[in-house]
Amino acid sequence: MAQETSQEQTRSAGAAVAASQAGGFLWKRGLWVTFLRVAIIGGFLLLWEIASGNWIEPFLISSPSRILASMVTGFRSGDLIQHSWVTLQEIAIGFPVGVFLGIGLGYAFGRSQLLAEIFEPIIIALNGIPRTALAPLFIVWLGIGIWSKVGVVFLLTFFLNFFNTYAGMRQMDQEYIDLARLMGAKRWKLTFKVILPAISPYVFTGIRTSIPFSVIGAIVGEFVAATEGVGYFIRQAAGLFRTADVFVGIIVLMLIVIAMDKIAELIERRALQWQARADHVTIQG
Amino acid sequence: MLGEFMEQDDQLSSSETASRKASDTTQGTNGLVIQVENVTKAFLTPDQGTMVALQEINLDVPYGEFVTVVGPSGCGKSTLLKLIAGLTPLSGGRILYQGSEVQGLNTKVGYVPQESKLFPWLTLEENVAFGLDSKRYSRQEREHQLRHFINLAGLSGFEKYYPAQLSGGMGKRASIIRALAYEPPVILMDEPFGPLDAQTRMVLQDELLKIWEQKRQTIVFVTHDLVEAVALADRVVVMTHRPANVKDVIQVPMDRPRNIFEIHRQEGFDEAYGRLWNIFRHELNIKR
Repeated sequence: MAQETSQEQTRSAGAAVAASQAGGFLWKRGLWVTFLRVAIIGGFLLLWEIASGNWIEPFLISSPSRILASMVTGFRSGDLIQHSWVTLQEIAIGFPVGVFLGIGLGYAFGRSQLLAEIFEPIIIALNGIPRTALAPLFIVWLGIGIWSKVGVVFLLTFFLNFFNTYAGMRQMDQEYIDLARLMGAKRWKLTFKVILPAISPYVFTGIRTSIPFSVIGAIVGEFVAATEGVGYFIRQAAGLFRTADVFVGIIVLMLIVIAMDKIAELIERRALQWQARADHVTIQG
Repeated sequence: MLGEFMEQDDQLSSSETASRKASDTTQGTNGLVIQVENVTKAFLTPDQGTMVALQEINLDVPYGEFVTVVGPSGCGKSTLLKLIAGLTPLSGGRILYQGSEVQGLNTKVGYVPQESKLFPWLTLEENVAFGLDSKRYSRQEREHQLRHFINLAGLSGFEKYYPAQLSGGMGKRASIIRALAYEPPVILMDEPFGPLDAQTRMVLQDELLKIWEQKRQTIVFVTHDLVEAVALADRVVVMTHRPANVKDVIQVPMDRPRNIFEIHRQEGFDEAYGRLWNIFRHELNIKR
């Protein structure tokens, strides 16, 4: 036994040496990757700048310098901040509610055979509706203020989280539940120490795929009818052929999605640190 | 007599069980912790037929015995353990545990599955402590139990590791002490050393016996390895092909503590192994 333990330690020490050697190589490789990435983006922006006005009309594609200028004026005047704030509010209410209810219902379906049998076809049918098509209806029901957009954000977020959580529940390994129950785990402990951690990879997939969709929900709602918000801002700018402003709006949306995803990624890393991470599968042949 | 008090309410039967247990240990007769009586288990096959896995099995296990169950693969050895644990319902007969009929989950047994099945999201320490219920164990007792078993299994220093970071042998040890830590009177083991290499296997068999010598809980250990079955057991139960039945029961007349690494030289091994092999050979011939 002692022998085996020391073997294991030797093995892990060997692995550490190999990792540090690979570390130097990886570091150089990382630098190279970053360099190429910057070069490609820089080249693209440069090409865009040159093309605009020389080969293609600026009102069609604007240009990086014009977009930057628009962005600065937009933020200086406070206009853009106000629009972004409204859109953020819609997401900040609709997204978490959709996430929690989606996870909750997915969990409930997984726990209750009866519930699943009754509602599964109904949920699948509802899922068949292109949900953004419901946006006008939400405007009719909830007015042109933020609540109609909150509704659309909720709808898009909810289904993705529901389906992923439910999929996680269905593939849950029964043996973990059996073992936990044999060891005396009752409802609370079973739920929070066994089932939820076991399905958490699925839950996080749901949350992260629903992030861009929540932003889409808000924008679609604002496209249909609104007086404020980034979607409204984009639509108005496009109507007036202020192409630079359209791009500014798109960039703001992109930043919102990236920020939300980064936060979710941080939480996911912490929550799933027990998983052995394999980032890339290598296929040798 | 057992049937009579089974009909009474829980409280009565449990007090009766307690007194029975006390008298049994003094008299040394009928001190049975598990009684499997005429148990049949049939499964529904995908094409709507039934497949009888176990046919009218009878088996008594006294307190403190180390029983191994051997049989051809797929004969329903694991199913028998699942029935004792109450994980799956019976088709016929009944199983008494400490004198009362097993209905629903039997939380008084420890279970060590084929694969380690440690909860991958908990650290080794948290896994081992999982069954140490806060109502039964104070914080100190919990801590003490944890240290004791982790030391016993040679896993100190790895308390904060996640199962994915442990080797197969370490995971196996952790899985076993997880079942031992909360001190269930009976531990059911379903081919726990099956997937391990021969060396690790022997080391773990040796450790298991050493740990067992300290408390001598009842162990029902399923295996398909005849050497393992004889080396560990007080009694070996041999099962037949499906529909499985108990073919024979062999007493293993070897002294304890045993030396797993030189088990072949120990007196009584050859005799028990020879008898077991004879039965098995017969069983294989029938199959052909």
